Amino acid sequence: MRRVRLGPVIAVAAIALIAFLVPLLPLPDPVHMDVAHHLSAPSMVHPLGQDEYGRDVLSRLLWGARTSLAVAAASALVACIFGVALGLVGGFMRGVVEFIAVRSMDVVLCFPPLLLALLIVTLLGPGARTLIPVLAVLYLPGFVRVAYAGVLSVRSQDYVEAVRALGAGPIRIMLRTVLPNVAGPVLVQFSLAAASAVVLESGLSFLGLGVVPPAPSWGLMIGAARATMVQAPLLLLWPCAALSLTILAMNALCDALRDAVDPHTVPGRVRRRILPALPLGRAPTGTAVLDVRNLGVAIDTPLGVIHPVRDVSFTVRAGETLAIVGESGSGKTLTGLALLGLLPSAAYVHQGMAWFQGHNLLRDDEVALRRVRGGAMAMVFQDPLSSLNPVHRIGRQIIEAMRAHFDVPHHEAREEVVALLQRVGMPDPERRVGAYPHELSGGMRQRTMIAMAIANDPRLLIADEPTTALDVTIQAQVLDLLADLRRELGMGLVFITHSLPVVAEIADRVLVMYAGEIVEQGPVREIFAAPLHPYTAALLQSAPQDDGTLPIGIPGTVPLPHAMPSGCAFAPRCTRRQEVCDAQHPTLTEVAPGRATRCLRWRELA
Amino acid sequence: MLWIARRIGVAILLVWAVASIVFLAIRLVPGDPAELLLSQGGVAPDPATVAELHEQLGLDRPVLTQYIDNFRHLLSGDLGQSLQDGSPVAGEIARRLPRTLELIGVAAVFAVLLGIPGGLFAAIRRDSALDRIGTYLSALALAVPVFVVGTLMVLVFAQTLRWVPAGGYVPLARDPLQHLALLAMPAITIGLGLAATVFRMTRASVLDVSQRDFVRAARAKGLGQARILLHHVLRNALMPVVTVLALHLGTLLGGTVLVEYVFNYPGLSGLLVEAVNARDYPEVEGVVLVISVLFVALNLVVDLLYAVLDPRVRTA
Amino acid sequence: MKLTRRSALIAGASLPFLRNSARAATTPGRLVFGLSSYPPTMLPWANAGTAAATAKLMFHRGLLGYGPDGTLRGELAEKWEHAEDGAWVLHLRDAVFHNGAPVTSADVAWTVEQVAAEKSTAYLRAEMQRIARVDTPDAKIVRLVTKEPMATLPYLLASYFLPVVAKDSTKDNPLGVGAGPFVMTSEERGVALDFQAFDKFYRPGLPKLKTLRMVAYADENLRVAALQAGDVDLIEYVPWQSMPSIEADPKLSLQSTPGPFMYLTFNGKVKPFDDARVRQAVAHAIRREEIIKAAFFGRGSPIEGLPLTEGTAFYDAKLARGWTYDPAKAKSLLAAAGVGSGFSCKLLSTAQYGMHKDTAAVVQQHLAEIGIQAELVLPDWATRVTLGNRGQYEMAVMGSASEYNDPDGLTSFLAGNLAVSYVRSFGLDIPKIDELLAAGRAEFDDARRHAIYTELQQVFLDQAPIVGLCFRAQGYAMSKQVTGFHNLPGALTFYSGTTLEETTTG
Repeated sequence: MRRVRLGPVIAVAAIALIAFLVPLLPLPDPVHMDVAHHLSAPSMVHPLGQDEYGRDVLSRLLWGARTSLAVAAASALVACIFGVALGLVGGFMRGVVEFIAVRSMDVVLCFPPLLLALLIVTLLGPGARTLIPVLAVLYLPGFVRVAYAGVLSVRSQDYVEAVRALGAGPIRIMLRTVLPNVAGPVLVQFSLAAASAVVLESGLSFLGLGVVPPAPSWGLMIGAARATMVQAPLLLLWPCAALSLTILAMNALCDALRDAVDPHTVPGRVRRRILPALPLGRAPTGTAVLDVRNLGVAIDTPLGVIHPVRDVSFTVRAGETLAIVGESGSGKTLTGLALLGLLPSAAYVHQGMAWFQGHNLLRDDEVALRRVRGGAMAMVFQDPLSSLNPVHRIGRQIIEAMRAHFDVPHHEAREEVVALLQRVGMPDPERRVGAYPHELSGGMRQRTMIAMAIANDPRLLIADEPTTALDVTIQAQVLDLLADLRRELGMGLVFITHSLPVVAEIADRVLVMYAGEIVEQGPVREIFAAPLHPYTAALLQSAPQDDGTLPIGIPGTVPLPHAMPSGCAFAPRCTRRQEVCDAQHPTLTEVAPGRATRCLRWRELA
Repeated sequence: MLWIARRIGVAILLVWAVASIVFLAIRLVPGDPAELLLSQGGVAPDPATVAELHEQLGLDRPVLTQYIDNFRHLLSGDLGQSLQDGSPVAGEIARRLPRTLELIGVAAVFAVLLGIPGGLFAAIRRDSALDRIGTYLSALALAVPVFVVGTLMVLVFAQTLRWVPAGGYVPLARDPLQHLALLAMPAITIGLGLAATVFRMTRASVLDVSQRDFVRAARAKGLGQARILLHHVLRNALMPVVTVLALHLGTLLGGTVLVEYVFNYPGLSGLLVEAVNARDYPEVEGVVLVISVLFVALNLVVDLLYAVLDPRVRTA
Repeated sequence: MKLTRRSALIAGASLPFLRNSARAATTPGRLVFGLSSYPPTMLPWANAGTAAATAKLMFHRGLLGYGPDGTLRGELAEKWEHAEDGAWVLHLRDAVFHNGAPVTSADVAWTVEQVAAEKSTAYLRAEMQRIARVDTPDAKIVRLVTKEPMATLPYLLASYFLPVVAKDSTKDNPLGVGAGPFVMTSEERGVALDFQAFDKFYRPGLPKLKTLRMVAYADENLRVAALQAGDVDLIEYVPWQSMPSIEADPKLSLQSTPGPFMYLTFNGKVKPFDDARVRQAVAHAIRREEIIKAAFFGRGSPIEGLPLTEGTAFYDAKLARGWTYDPAKAKSLLAAAGVGSGFSCKLLSTAQYGMHKDTAAVVQQHLAEIGIQAELVLPDWATRVTLGNRGQYEMAVMGSASEYNDPDGLTSFLAGNLAVSYVRSFGLDIPKIDELLAAGRAEFDDARRHAIYTELQQVFLDQAPIVGLCFRAQGYAMSKQVTGFHNLPGALTFYSGTTLEETTTG
């Protein structure tokens, strides 16, 4: 759970504190009447004036807050306790208990809330105490649902099974494993119920079904002030304002809690910045399809700007496969995304050039980039299931890729799609055209993604871990497919992966990244034979070995972007570290044509 | 098919449970319809007269007999007669229900027209001034209770500006313009809160979906912003919005009482309140039955709609 | 704050220009009446509240009625007299029902028979059962022979609970066919009633209106708003807080009369309210002006004795001031009753009606000052009625009106020998009061009736079977374009609908 924003917490706490301290404040008796001065305007003694009985409005307002919040908190708490218990029991017991626990809530939902209130209030008589069960019943289904959903999602998980296997009873399982997991959503539900209870309390009191006069309540005050709104409009204003502000604060708290529990709702802003500081540069004269120079990516974080990609330069020639290798967090994926202008919203390119077909991609505007994307340069992503839109048929999604660049007549489009699918080895393509992504296997999905990427004969294909989500046999097929396509189409291929065996199989050249930097680059054969950077060497050792010896893991972890070592970034994990490694940041040194390393001591390694 | 049959079976069970609870609860509550009917003017009814009326209304029979009779009539589609004036309950509901549906419908259209484009725009221009204004306004709309909004609207638009009548209802056939004028204020009052909910849901949902991989993949295909929003983001983002909206509309079926009260709009909720106040048992039972049937049906429709919107549900 | 004030000023300044004054204009010959509620039922002889009574007065009329000044006048009967043998003789005028049939003595006899029938649910059933028989010597003469002398029968015959209905017409239509000035043309249940002038009404030239529409506005604020916005021409039950603004409005006029009254009832079966001294103490403990000010915004007058309107025949200035505010006396009365140190009890009222709730709130406060800690019980109206009828309360706030401007009209509030009812105290029968009421009802001589009712007022002050609090102003407000409408004085205010026959607009 992330941190909760403080503003709403403070606001709600302040309101609650006032309500709690009301009896201690030097206020006039909220029910004391002074009929002679009724409807008096604000004065020194009565800062907010006097109501239709001459009672002090400020005092009634504050005491009203106490009533409102007490009713809201109590009813939310009662609903929470019973609802969570019912949801947990329903989720665990299954069968009849589940049916009754969950379906009985539908009965409550079917009841018009007002009727429920009317019935209970007439049965028990109006009053703050009656409101609590009324509201609690109304909020019960929400808690049941949240707890029930929590149990369902946790029930099947391994650790619950494990605890169950250890012989723990259902109650212990619930308390120890499930409850902590549903605590977040329940807390959100609680704040929602409490906020909504404040609204309902005022509504019911307004209708005369809630708090009994002369006890102060905002709903009662609004109801009464409505009658005199022409003579004394302020009397209507105060409780309305108090009520609205309280609900505002409580809703803000709900949002803050929800954001904290469920981080999905706070993505960064969608934007693309083109920094004027980026060099315009001159198009290089070479045979490279893509020429990247000094690429740097920055991310604004609450803790300051970090640079997950620094000073990355490389080229890709037509028909060549360049592999970018590194652990997660090394910046390899961001490098690929930066080229196509697909960086996540918080990240942006802060330096460098990327020449492709005579353009500097990094300075292209969105329109120009859009022409490149999926056209001359295409990308295949790691997880084909999440990268395909679940609600559209795959044929349509492929046609869409073609139509984004060329006008394809309707009748031809389908044929072309079938042809494309055939080309990427999709079995029974005629039929698959009309399939939804969830109806396909993982391999078929990735073939679809590849079909989409090559739909417009790209000159360069960036494949970001295209095989990671697939099982081994399919992996091999997809790799073969990519290799074939590269050969047939003569395109450049940038293959981003963390797997060295894959690199060995597919790549011509390799680029090893660590903590945002290139640490070594060169032809595959040379690097595999004689790595010139301790990290590359360590990676090779950590990969599954052909000879069956156990891979050796790399000790330690990648340094956090905020805490980059001042010297060599790999130094803390390096077995060959020396003082000099910590003292100075090594540069990428060309050790032979097409071969470079960022190790100060490469000569000793060689 | 089995799935649908099961759902319908459960729905019937649900409606029966609600109807039975209401039947018992309304009789458990103190207050006697005959006494009330005979003492409207604050004057004393003669106990003999009360007893007489009890017999005429059939309220002197044992509760179980009344219950069985009641359900036997229900099965033949008869909701019974009002205890107050003997008019058929079904007829009265048939008169009131369309008004409530119209009110909710217009409010929903208003909410959707305001909330979905607003939420979409706020999500696209996240953290822009317009997004902030929209977010604050929606928080405000959710925070101000409907009876406050309604009261202020009457004060401003009817009493002070005199643009619209202060409330009431005119059938569409009698005077279409007047009908719409009278519908506008209550519908907007309900619609404001609903629009705020839709706005927030849409905004959150669009932001959520925008972060998904398939949106990035769509961008990688070279699609334009508009196409991505309409074809990829919106369709996926609207699913939770539709569910929440439908559930809200369901609770509004019997939950527009404050608005009906403030605007003197003769809808279903008002009928329910009047019926409870008069202890008009058949009317209370009839209204609740209709509301719960509609509520359950609405939930079924939402599930079906979900299946239309999301192919994954169809095959599951 | 600055911003709001400025924008409020701007909004205020621009309002008159934006104001659409032409929207709702009065149409001559057509009147829209804002009712306080939709009549739950309009069965001819049932009591279904003010709104129903007003609506019924449009299409039904009784033998007698009230003129604009509140005096008894003939409606379907042209003349009435008390015959030598004790019977009341009524001479019918030439009137026709809405179905064209003439109004005859047979219709009257049938009406009385229906009301008094064993299976009847009519409000005046018990009263009509005091009629031994109805003689119809010819088509135009009705002789009502009572079991015992009934001086007050004409008042009952003027009641809107006793309209004359065309014989056997309730078979086809439960509302029956009447002979009133208007014919109901349509009924939108819960919303509105439409009427058209009856062209053969027995008063030539009346009604003056061509059409009349009655629209229900249950919310009092909205009812006033509708009048101010011009949606309706005339409203009943003007809320007290709106009366000043209506009086100040040059386009509107207000007619109000101190008619109905608020009072306290007691449960005579529970201690200490079985003791007359405790009830008297309560009567002396209340500052009635504060109730009038808080609940009725100054629109009312205190009741410190039997609720008789000032200026009426039996009003006695001295006896009407019997229960002045005197906390010292109240405390000594409590002490004499053995509860000098005070006690706690429950005060029943209802949250559904503001005036009941507000009155209770003030009474609670005043009782606390003499040591009676009253806890408010505020259920909805239906529950309050049931609790009252079952005697499940200790003290209760009530509001009602005398049935006619005569002390006999107070019988239902005072007579402990009648069946239990929430409108009077529970289990509190004071034989002397019953005796005096019966004597007054049977007495035809004015001087002797005066003596009887003076004694009644005295006994009432001593026994305090109920404690009067205040008369409240009952108001009708209307556009200045409306003429000929009169708010009938005192208890008869609810009969004001009668004068719609003479009302014109435009």
